[in-house]
Amino acid sequence: MTLFHFGNCFSLAYFPYFITYKCSGLSEYNAFWRCVQAGATYLFVQLCKMLFLATFFPTWEGGAGVYDFVGEFMKATVDLADLLGLHLVMSRNAGKGEYKIMVAAMGWATAELIMSRCIPLWVGARGIEFDWKYIQMSFDSNISLVHYIAMAAVVWMFTRYDLPKSFRLPVTILLGLCVYKGFLMELFVHVFLLGSWTALLVKAVLTGAISLCSLFLFVTLVHSN
Amino acid sequence: MFEEASEVLENMLKWSFPLSLVLFLVLVCPLRAEAAHEFSVYRMQQYDLQGQTYGSRNAILNTEARTVDAEVLSRRCVMVRLADFSYEKYQKALRQSAGAVVIILPQNMSTMPQDIVQQFMELEPELLATETIVPVYFALEDEELLSIYTQTQISSSSQGSSSAAEVLLHTATANGFQMVTSGAQSKAVSDWAITSLEGRLTGAGGEDLPTIVLVAHYDSFGVAPWLSYGADSNGSGVAVLLELARLFSRLYSYKRTHAGYNLLFFLSGGGKFNYQGTKRWLEDNLDHTDSSLLQDNVAFVLCLDTLGNSDNLHLHVSKPPKEGSPQHALLRELETVAAHQHPDLKFSMVHKKINLADDTLAWEHERFGIRRLPAFTLSHLESHRSPARHSIMDMRSVSSLEGAGEDTAGPHVDLTKLSRNTKVIAEALARVIYNLTEKGVGGDLQIFTEQMQVQEDQLASLVDWLTAQPRAAQLLDKDSSIVNTLEYYLSRYLKDVKRHLVRADKRDPEFVFYDQLKQTMNAYRVKPAIFDLLLAVCIASYLGVLYLAVQNFGLLYGFLRRVTAPRVKQH
Repeated sequence: MTLFHFGNCFSLAYFPYFITYKCSGLSEYNAFWRCVQAGATYLFVQLCKMLFLATFFPTWEGGAGVYDFVGEFMKATVDLADLLGLHLVMSRNAGKGEYKIMVAAMGWATAELIMSRCIPLWVGARGIEFDWKYIQMSFDSNISLVHYIAMAAVVWMFTRYDLPKSFRLPVTILLGLCVYKGFLMELFVHVFLLGSWTALLVKAVLTGAISLCSLFLFVTLVHSN
Repeated sequence: MFEEASEVLENMLKWSFPLSLVLFLVLVCPLRAEAAHEFSVYRMQQYDLQGQTYGSRNAILNTEARTVDAEVLSRRCVMVRLADFSYEKYQKALRQSAGAVVIILPQNMSTMPQDIVQQFMELEPELLATETIVPVYFALEDEELLSIYTQTQISSSSQGSSSAAEVLLHTATANGFQMVTSGAQSKAVSDWAITSLEGRLTGAGGEDLPTIVLVAHYDSFGVAPWLSYGADSNGSGVAVLLELARLFSRLYSYKRTHAGYNLLFFLSGGGKFNYQGTKRWLEDNLDHTDSSLLQDNVAFVLCLDTLGNSDNLHLHVSKPPKEGSPQHALLRELETVAAHQHPDLKFSMVHKKINLADDTLAWEHERFGIRRLPAFTLSHLESHRSPARHSIMDMRSVSSLEGAGEDTAGPHVDLTKLSRNTKVIAEALARVIYNLTEKGVGGDLQIFTEQMQVQEDQLASLVDWLTAQPRAAQLLDKDSSIVNTLEYYLSRYLKDVKRHLVRADKRDPEFVFYDQLKQTMNAYRVKPAIFDLLLAVCIASYLGVLYLAVQNFGLLYGFLRRVTAPRVKQH
């Protein structure tokens, strides 16, 4: 029943996106094309990042077991381009803040899902051999959705002209956490030698914390006027 | 939403036709999954001899693994370790129409206790005699295979003994394994040529000299062709023959010691399959050629079979030699040499009549006996039915220099005994050729000493080389390196080295070999079908919870709003 397993993983990965799209009211605003545009921006930004990384970062030639903290940190810094991309998408869409955030996040996350999860699932989950990693991959895509929504919200807040001074610092911290979340996760796994399910749990908790904080700030900002 | 989705997709597809083509290719290409473990398996023998079929018929496999103590074995691959193997368990697996049997052998056979090795050796011919359509494989054990085996054992033995809840929990955590072999169904190999080699040393002094023929078959036999190394049977015989060739060619190179006997050396192939090589060689030499050494004056034919061990030496004859004949001379010389020079050696003659009603002939000399040539076989085994002659346990495991007091399981070659046997044979032959007893030379005189001595290192390296690769007749075709090396070796010492090929008759083949004897087996980790259903239920419930959460997101939003802005309300 390996096609069944593929179906399981597929539904676990895609249905939350579908649910979010339907229930957040985006369908009423005919936002499908805009989401696709956001996805195209994602592709473009990823391409630029890859070119930049390939050109300017040499391959690490140290020992196999040593983790190159500095190198990986620099590579994670390049992920700032993600923020620029999100900002670009949001600035091109006219509308309320929530609308912009949701459109950008949905398009971005869906593009990432299709690009990075589709083929491994198709090739791997359909095989005879069973591995837990496909279920984990699908869970991870759910977590990514929440992460991108939070990231888009934080970027939007950062670029608001009427952001109170007291919010600058928390927003910047959250921004930094979003960008370096991947780096932090790898650090945890390496230092504490976490198993795959534990790492997933930690990632979920981290993303949950970031998104709650950003939601809190967002609500405060929007309703403080 | 679907209308605009389709519109957008239409536009996209127009521009991305190449992309969709690539996608199509990706979807259609066959799936090559990574296996939990990939290992080589060696199939049991499969051959037809004189119309009679032997061994396992089938080769393909794609079934779930179980160990032998599971209750349901039908259409499953049964895995057994050598230590737990017994004939009853094998029969049980066959009765329940198992999909396949995989017998796991340890990497190092010397770790196995003696009685298990003995028991397995006795079982080998029975395994082959039971003709079965179930493929039987042998695999060498390594860590991953052992872990696969233990996991399968745990899941097999716990079936049918626990409650429904335990079974459910079990399905979530346990791993099943699917065994798949690469390769196709086995089919008969057409036009296989069995090669035999002959060489000669011509005697001194004119024509019509008597001929002595020395014969040894160089192939080996076991329950799995790729695992039959045949150290003692018949690697030792080949080593003795080659060493005798070297010694006598040295003697014959000096004029003073050039004797008046022709020496014909013959390395026959297909020996374990009822001596096919010898049979055809005799037919060709006696029936189809005008003049051959075999037709004129044959003193006797000495066949060498399994001489690498033990302190016994038996001369097997089909008719006791008559007084005054050359065969009787050899018999006498062997007795003399054994008595005077090696008192620890027990030499005797064993008389067994040729029984033509049997499926196969007992010893190689019987082929010659049927054609009325005087022949005998020298062996340390007393009976031709001894399991040591067709066992995969016959491997060169320990040299005589290492554990001399160790009790090595299974038949093997002991170099000191091998070189002693070589010396005995060489001395006896020399006494016959030079007629030493008639001339009054005592039994104590040793000819093969100092420069002419039997070189134990030579024997050691020969046996090592012979047992470095399997020598089953199905694996040695006329281009194989073993045949070529043997030919080269013979041509260094002998003259007129010739090859002789045997191909099975097209219409009524005496022997048929089958292929697919070595395959790669993949073990894939699988979960039972229940697991997928369980997972689907879990995912459905998770999605349901998610849907509710998203629908009621407004609640969280309102809560946060109330928490963050209490001041706004107060005005």
